[in-house]
Amino acid sequence: MEAFADFWATYSTLIFTVGIHALLALSLWLTLSCGLLSLANAAFMGIGAYTAALLTLHLHWPFPMVLAAGALAPAAVALVIGAPTLRLSGVYLAMATLAFGEVTRILVLNLEITGGPEGLNGIPLLTTWWHILLILAAAGYALARLRRSRMGRAFEAIREDEVAARMMGIDVEGHKLAAFTLGAVLAGLAGALNAHSTFFISPREYGFENAVDILTMTILGGISSLIGPVLGATILTLLPELLRFLHAYRLAVNGLILIAVVLFLPTGLWDSRRLRQLVGAWRTRREGKP
Amino acid sequence: MNRATKHLLFAAAGLLAVSAVAGDLKIGIAEALTGGAAQYGVPIRNGFQLAADEINAKGGINGNKLVLVVEDEQGKKEEAINVFKKLIFQDKVLMIFGPTLSNSMFAAGPVANAAKVVAFGTSNTANGISEMGPYIFRNSVMESDVLPVTVRTAVKHYKIKKVAVIYGNDDAFTKSGYDVFKKVLEDQKIPVTTTETYVKGDVDFKAQLTKIKATNPDAIICSGLAEEAATLMVQARGLGLKAPFIGGNGFNSPKLFEVSKTAGEGTFVGSPWANTNPTPANQHFVAAYKQKYGAEPNQFAAQAYDALTIAAAALKSIKVSGNVATDREALHGALPKVSISGATGPFKFRQSVGKDGKPAGYDADQTPFIYVIRDGKFVLFTGK
Repeated sequence: MEAFADFWATYSTLIFTVGIHALLALSLWLTLSCGLLSLANAAFMGIGAYTAALLTLHLHWPFPMVLAAGALAPAAVALVIGAPTLRLSGVYLAMATLAFGEVTRILVLNLEITGGPEGLNGIPLLTTWWHILLILAAAGYALARLRRSRMGRAFEAIREDEVAARMMGIDVEGHKLAAFTLGAVLAGLAGALNAHSTFFISPREYGFENAVDILTMTILGGISSLIGPVLGATILTLLPELLRFLHAYRLAVNGLILIAVVLFLPTGLWDSRRLRQLVGAWRTRREGKP
Repeated sequence: MNRATKHLLFAAAGLLAVSAVAGDLKIGIAEALTGGAAQYGVPIRNGFQLAADEINAKGGINGNKLVLVVEDEQGKKEEAINVFKKLIFQDKVLMIFGPTLSNSMFAAGPVANAAKVVAFGTSNTANGISEMGPYIFRNSVMESDVLPVTVRTAVKHYKIKKVAVIYGNDDAFTKSGYDVFKKVLEDQKIPVTTTETYVKGDVDFKAQLTKIKATNPDAIICSGLAEEAATLMVQARGLGLKAPFIGGNGFNSPKLFEVSKTAGEGTFVGSPWANTNPTPANQHFVAAYKQKYGAEPNQFAAQAYDALTIAAAALKSIKVSGNVATDREALHGALPKVSISGATGPFKFRQSVGKDGKPAGYDADQTPFIYVIRDGKFVLFTGK
């Protein structure tokens, strides 16, 4: 028990970060599942974080309402910017969402209420482990259900072939906007949770680098299932800590591991199809069938 | 974390603490040793190491050896929190020095404060750091203590009537420097002809400088980092702007001269530390640093060196029991009383007031040194 208390005291923030990163990776998984390569999720996280932090600091709203506002504010923004930008596809969409991310960052940097480059400090510690666990579990469950629903099938159809999907009568624009907006909800929640577990937020946490970090987590884990992004987020968050004993070399080793994964497992760590094949091959060998 | 869990944690920490090796005084060092902030974090780590080695070579503190537990916080807020927690709950250090950046201190400081462990910043100059709680200390001099002196000295020397201001508006450090300059200029009733901005990484300042030139100021106040400031100076001279510059803490880097060469002649800068300060403590520090690391020390190394000297003085005055919780509290009680004369000159603490109006942490109470740039070098300004 004592050992656990000690462990928890040391690593609680790290575990929180794993959960929050998993939520971010899932938010991007959702947009990717509809074939949208978006780099706006870091900005959505920022909008959620700032909205939530400002509501707590200035208006003293109760935490559940703060979380809800942190999820809805980026969703509203996503609806507005999604309508025109989602007509783009592939790298062009990536560029447009990247530009949106930069605009958001510079806006936050120059506003008086957001504290400019100095950010907001003194945010109370309100996030607890069960908030993160509950939201992550709810998001996982909702996404799992969504995948098998009419909407999820439509997302998949759009990702595989947009023209074919349109011919089948799927409302492509509507579904894209839905995926983009729901992704913003999850990212905003992650931002609100993060702001209330680290005492401090600043614009530089929601820039291009972070957008790429989220993308890396999702892709590294693999987007063929929900387990992939969560696994990717967990590994990318824990790896630098586990490698701490390497001191100066740890970031280099961290990079090498990433290169190795991308080279040898291009579809991500968790590829359900490959795993099924592996299990199948193992069973065949064991049962001695040809 | 609720109160009951907290109590449980402290109890657990206390029980485990008894088993710590007696005779070793563990001090946590959380600095940015990789990433962009490493340019500050590495000299800081060197300053601590030098001070610790000297203290241990002289037999330690009351016979106990100082052991530094050095961790890299990468200049990121989550890392700073993780490192602080590791140092507090796992390594059971008596106190923590760092983190390097003010932003990281805003994130990690509350963790130390809640655990009743001293967090001692040596390079955090932002306003509001020590307001976070009674366990937050720093010996870094705030811009709001340095800049009024710099401006007053320069105004007197050049008989300045009006100034132009330019600053980097996307960086916490340069923006807070600008806020202080703005207040100082208001307080000293010096009119501002124009205020211009740029962002980090800009290389062309001619548009802003042309505007500044049109307003014909007596001096240009610049809150920027050395990289941008150097280019800015060269371009100002190229446009025929002859007004001298007045700079913030960001100017205190040898990098300023790599690009600007002699364009910065006559610039006034305030610094908490003077390389050429002739006191024996400083001369010893400069010589020892050069010998150990083969490089010139900077202000950050000097402040770290002094910070450990301050902590050593406090440790000397307490009786170490071996129980971490008690020792941490005793150290916290002893620190504010310390006053030393170190590499950065005479030093003592000044208690600050928190947001709730209660007494909070401790800031540095020190007089800054004023430099003027002559022949492409910082020269201590002596009134001539």
